[in-house]
Amino acid sequence: MSAERETRLLMICPSAKITPEMLVRSIHSLDINVSLKETCYGCLIEGTQKDVRDVVEYVRQLEKNAIFTKRRAYHMGDPVRCRARHGTRPGFSQLEEEWSKLPVIKAGLDSLDRGEKYVDSSKKEKLSVVKLKEICEVK
Amino acid sequence: MKIFIDPPNSMILFDLVERFGHEPLSTMAALQEKIDNIEVDMPPMNVTLDDVVKGLKYAGIEVPSGVRGRLAIWGPMIEEADAAIVIEEAPFEFGCVGCERSELMVKYLLQRRGIPVLKLDYPGDEEDGKVFVGKIKEFLEGLN
Repeated sequence: MSAERETRLLMICPSAKITPEMLVRSIHSLDINVSLKETCYGCLIEGTQKDVRDVVEYVRQLEKNAIFTKRRAYHMGDPVRCRARHGTRPGFSQLEEEWSKLPVIKAGLDSLDRGEKYVDSSKKEKLSVVKLKEICEVK
Repeated sequence: MKIFIDPPNSMILFDLVERFGHEPLSTMAALQEKIDNIEVDMPPMNVTLDDVVKGLKYAGIEVPSGVRGRLAIWGPMIEEADAAIVIEEAPFEFGCVGCERSELMVKYLLQRRGIPVLKLDYPGDEEDGKVFVGKIKEFLEGLN
């Protein structure tokens, strides 16, 4: 097994204009030696670190703030993880949860690109003793 | 710089850290090493004796084995990190964040190391998203 192997998961934001099929076709059209698998959320790519990084760079230019990526420990289609081969998917719930948050992150990245400043109004306040007593006491 | 992310398998944090020009330290890379080199059948569910010993460095023998197993992977990453981004109150039901005790130990280890730590909540709406991304960018730029 090559020590340089890198497997990546590319996930498309739900509010993006691009589809997994379009993404896969555009990566296929590159002259880069990576294996590719289309999935419902985007695609998986596998190859040497350099090739995978090149694909990620290209994909970020394709639709800058709408395609997110992370590494994957297991090989593409590994029987331990691949759902088609009845593998368990312990990380799937995490992905599903974060997938639902991607439009919000995209909005944040878009606003940064427009040079907007953020206003942090979400300061957490400690619970006051008076309030705690109100909660505890049965009235 | 090397940034420890918590939840350590978070795609959002991994992507943002990489996007802003730093190297995220994630569970995925640590597990890949085991898959490629040690050929344990199904990490992190199956561990080697070395993992158990590594875990003992970060948590005592009386600590549940799940916590120790998690820390065997996350502990060396925390030692390697130059800074950290932590999402607090992540819904504990999913992924490898399914253990509140491990989360507490991670926060303790980060505090003990004394590296810069950014603590955030998962964003709920677009305004939160702007604050979330803006804070991460500011934090990472400040490290350079």
